[in-house]
Amino acid sequence: MAALVLPASLLVLLLLVAPMLLLFRISLNEFSPTQMMVEATSAANYLRAVQDPYYRQVLLTTLAVATGSTLLALGLGFPTAYWLARMQGRWKSLATITVLFPLLVGNVVRAAGWLALLGNGGAINATLLGLGLIAAPLPLLYNTGAVVAGIVAVVLPYMVLTLSAVIEGIPRQTEEAAANLGARPMTVFRRVVLPQALPGVAAGSVLVFVLCMNTYASAVLLGGPQFKMMAPAVYDQFVRGNNWPFGAALAFILLGITLVLTVAGSAALGRRYRC
Amino acid sequence: MALPSPSRLVFGGLVATAFTLMLAPVVTVMVISVFRQEIVSFPPSGFTLRWYLNAWDRQEFARGFISSLQVASLATLIGVPLGTAAALALVRSGMRGGAAISTLLLGPLAVPGVVAGTALYMFYLRAEFWLDRDITSTLQGLVAAHVLLTIPWTVRLVTASLQGMDRAAEEAAANLGARPFTVFRRVTLPAMRPGIIAACLFSFIQSFENLELSLLLVGPGRTTLPVAMLNYLEFRVDPTLAAVATVQILLVAVLLLVTDRFVSIARTV
Repeated sequence: MAALVLPASLLVLLLLVAPMLLLFRISLNEFSPTQMMVEATSAANYLRAVQDPYYRQVLLTTLAVATGSTLLALGLGFPTAYWLARMQGRWKSLATITVLFPLLVGNVVRAAGWLALLGNGGAINATLLGLGLIAAPLPLLYNTGAVVAGIVAVVLPYMVLTLSAVIEGIPRQTEEAAANLGARPMTVFRRVVLPQALPGVAAGSVLVFVLCMNTYASAVLLGGPQFKMMAPAVYDQFVRGNNWPFGAALAFILLGITLVLTVAGSAALGRRYRC
Repeated sequence: MALPSPSRLVFGGLVATAFTLMLAPVVTVMVISVFRQEIVSFPPSGFTLRWYLNAWDRQEFARGFISSLQVASLATLIGVPLGTAAALALVRSGMRGGAAISTLLLGPLAVPGVVAGTALYMFYLRAEFWLDRDITSTLQGLVAAHVLLTIPWTVRLVTASLQGMDRAAEEAAANLGARPFTVFRRVTLPAMRPGIIAACLFSFIQSFENLELSLLLVGPGRTTLPVAMLNYLEFRVDPTLAAVATVQILLVAVLLLVTDRFVSIARTV
């Protein structure tokens, strides 16, 4: 029976663990313009990634965008999750599928939608022009705002589904009791709902932050050529720069941040809530 | 009737904003795909379905679509049985190190797509050198990578359906004289069915729409649909591209509806 885990485990070892080890080894090598890669054991690539002003800026932009997007997703996702969790019957499964559906439609498809909405000839500008509210198209695309909108749209379903699973477990009577004792809606939310939903808030935020850090399509398509985040920067090193060792180091910095957060998030949850 | 309180208004506004953000891009793409004029502008001068034919005439989209269908089907056919077997063993055998193995199997979800993609690309180049044959930009190379995507979803979903099952049913069948394989086929397998069906759905869709893992593994002869769309979108968005995107949206919708007839999706996720 236990042997049944072997095929899948061997596959993951061969196609994920071994390649990651190889990539780590490559990150310690040195780049040479003539030979591409020289065997070495140095941390030079990692040092360059945090010291070079350009790449430090890329990392900071990525962290800032991820933080902002996560907070927005939390602010919008919490009420939506609450609304979903407190729904009943047929409407509930319809609403759940409406949240799930965009998640299943690929990131590229949704980025195409944002391009069609925010572009110079896009839906928003065309409507405003048509109504005579503006004289020239607003520059809605190729800026941080467009990227954040695109990312929030991508990660919202994850936030909503994670939170609503936790909120469903909160007994409704606790809210009713607080209200009966005279608490106003805001107080009920702050003192009763939020404390009980904290495990979901933590789990959802960690999941969403990691997804934001690794954004590719939204950053490339909605941010334009000047806007750089980590995942596209990694890709560029392999395709345009051909500097594999440095690209590998960037990849491991991205992976490191992702893993530390995931582990820290689940450890904090496990210790406080045992769920 | 009393006016809604300010906090209710804010609450409703936030929920409405969330749904608008999630749905607006999907709806916009579908609407634009039937506009008559080629440069996207509003209001439309008329409606047409010819962009769908136009999209099929463009080789990169037609080939990308077929290629993505092939990769996603094969990856699902290989990955779901492997993941199901692993989930069964993890839940039932009570083996030591089960937690570590389950972390390993969920690993492909924890590693960012671009990172796993570059690692696989380097690995494939090394393997090509040793084996003296092409792996990058081949069907096999892409399918192998995408099987990696299907395993964590399958393990997660099938494990959940097994954990919800009452083992007494299996014991009862055995007591009534069913042989182990019959117990598996008539009792355990039906209990796993919702998990397996949901795993097929998620695996297929995850693979079909995957961009990051595939970026470096596609080549001139073999591109997947999302990569073809990304390359096109870096230059323009037009009704042809919107038509391609709409086909993808409709495919997901049909898969969701068909799957929902067999298992309640709202309850599986």
